[in-house]
Amino acid sequence: MDKHLIFYAMFIPSMILFFWGMWFRVSLYLRGTLKGSEEATRWGKFIILLGRGWKGFWKKPLWYIKILITDVIFHRKLFRESFYRWFTHSLLVVGFVATFAVDMIKGFTTGYLVELSHSIPFFSFAHAFKTGSIRPFLDFFLEFFSFLILIGCILAIIRRFFIRPDQLRTEEEDVVTLVFILYMVVSGFFIEGYRIAHPEVAASRVYMADFTPASANNWISFFGYFLSLFLKNITINPHFLWYGHVIPCLVWFVYIPHSKLLHIFTSSVTVIADRVKQKSHAV
Amino acid sequence: MDLSKLSPKQLLEIDACTRCGDCLRFCPVYSQRMEEAINPRGKIQAMKKFLRGQYGLWARVFGKKKLDEAELEKFSEMAYRCTLCGECSVQCPVSIDSRNLWIALKEVLVDLGHYPKQLKMMKEHVLKDHNISGHDNSQRTDWLETLEGLPAHRYQKERAEVVYFVGCVSAYFPMAHKVPQSFTQILERTGVDFTLLGGAEWCCGFPLLVGGFRKEIQELIRHNIEGVKKKGAHSVIFSCPSCYHTWLEDYKTDLKLFDSTQFILSLIRGGKLRFDEKKIKVTYHDPCDLGRVSGIYEAPREILRSMPGVEFVELPNNGERCKCCGGGGLLEMIEPDLSASLAKEKIKEIQATGADLLVTSCQQCLRNIQSTARKMKIRLKAAYITEFVLQHMH
Repeated sequence: MDKHLIFYAMFIPSMILFFWGMWFRVSLYLRGTLKGSEEATRWGKFIILLGRGWKGFWKKPLWYIKILITDVIFHRKLFRESFYRWFTHSLLVVGFVATFAVDMIKGFTTGYLVELSHSIPFFSFAHAFKTGSIRPFLDFFLEFFSFLILIGCILAIIRRFFIRPDQLRTEEEDVVTLVFILYMVVSGFFIEGYRIAHPEVAASRVYMADFTPASANNWISFFGYFLSLFLKNITINPHFLWYGHVIPCLVWFVYIPHSKLLHIFTSSVTVIADRVKQKSHAV
Repeated sequence: MDLSKLSPKQLLEIDACTRCGDCLRFCPVYSQRMEEAINPRGKIQAMKKFLRGQYGLWARVFGKKKLDEAELEKFSEMAYRCTLCGECSVQCPVSIDSRNLWIALKEVLVDLGHYPKQLKMMKEHVLKDHNISGHDNSQRTDWLETLEGLPAHRYQKERAEVVYFVGCVSAYFPMAHKVPQSFTQILERTGVDFTLLGGAEWCCGFPLLVGGFRKEIQELIRHNIEGVKKKGAHSVIFSCPSCYHTWLEDYKTDLKLFDSTQFILSLIRGGKLRFDEKKIKVTYHDPCDLGRVSGIYEAPREILRSMPGVEFVELPNNGERCKCCGGGGLLEMIEPDLSASLAKEKIKEIQATGADLLVTSCQQCLRNIQSTARKMKIRLKAAYITEFVLQHMH
């Protein structure tokens, strides 16, 4: 069966479960009382809060963007507290955000625009993203940002399990989260390494991403290439490797709303709300 | 468990805690008790557990778990052993507004009937007698008796531009009487047209608010605003940071509100207040409700710096990172020993500066630090900022 079809058959239900999980959390928050709209229903509160956020953003969009970059993504407060923690956190955040962004660009251009270009010639530029000059850069950045996640994850493991600061308490959830992230990146690199080590796998289109020119593997897929050196004499079912990477990635998505990873969204809100409050106090 | 006491943002904040434990390094109560459940992380995790049992996936499918009374009691014990100093909010990497979260959680606990019995008495005093100590409210101005040259109106005029809101602690606790006594003299000598509300002043509602009885303060708010408006005043000045913050956040009034330090600074800037030179080395303690909670750090420092001969030295932990003296959040009422142990730490820090005098701008901090020093038989000179200003006035 076509890999795209299989992927979407798993991806769409996963996304539905992810959004359901998010709504499950949000609907709990909406049980709280919203000042000034005490009688509103949960859905009503949701609309009011969205409206307030939207209005607030457009009053000073540049300020919000600045706060998003400096205080949410680059976590200025953490930087002042500890360089090690800030560096680890930044590698993970930047790695995830950038990998997600590049992957979205890649998926959108190679998946949709290329298809569309057959009927609308304007979109023919998308071919550069699939097989042309842009493709190696897309693949390189995916590799690079995933590598940042790997380094961030290793640093987090070192801090949690070897440095072990007094204030840190490791619970099951922390172990699951770190193991999940580590597994996702390592299994991704492993697939890549296997593809490079076994050209017949790329030729038979086992994987969805198989357009990287083999001659450029050593710099585009630098970590995968490094792993491939050890995988040449090992034979594994490539389908098994693919499922072993994709399924946990999708499970991870579904897991986010029910885990500490939810702080990706919730802490962004608390940080921005705090800066808004500080700004209004300063005024 | 009724979640209507919390806001959507506060419920979200419970999820935003990543259990990083940064708050542990700064929580003054945790530094004394070293119990996981008493620190901010522990309290958030406990609340998370209650929420899971009541509103989690399992609860939605199979029904809510009955709230464990023993667990609630433990949670209440931990939640009420907090000075509400707000240092955890300042230090939290994800900026959880924990001080307000603790207050909201107390409202949930009050709703469930789990709160310290001492608060029941305090609540009755405030609602019945309109002050925290249960005295006759007409005795609010007894501190005036020892003032020399008291005018006939006893600072309780029919009309005035400014109202000085004294607050319960300064009015009823002899150790704090110097606060209103010195401030009224400053106002008098600088020609400010001011009045007291006298027996018409009711508790601002702060003790009820931080005890988890928010809905009971509306009557107090209405009464106090009416009292000020009757005097035709446009401004209200406070020497109690807790009263000041309560008015600022909960009174929703068009009146201009000033803390005593802000007002004194405006008098200095306006040339109405000048000082004689007296050599002294002082340090300053930032009261939590004035500093972290209301954001006033500079006004008291500017006052001290403007006084000739005053050598001002900072405490090692100052400004946003100033350590709580243990006098806040009703802790002194609920667990006096714990409150005193925090004050002891504060005293050590003050002594390390080598200052001749500690200046602060909260009557409760002053009381807590001074009474602990006395119990410890430590000679520590401390003064409220208005007292210090009055001594140095030209």
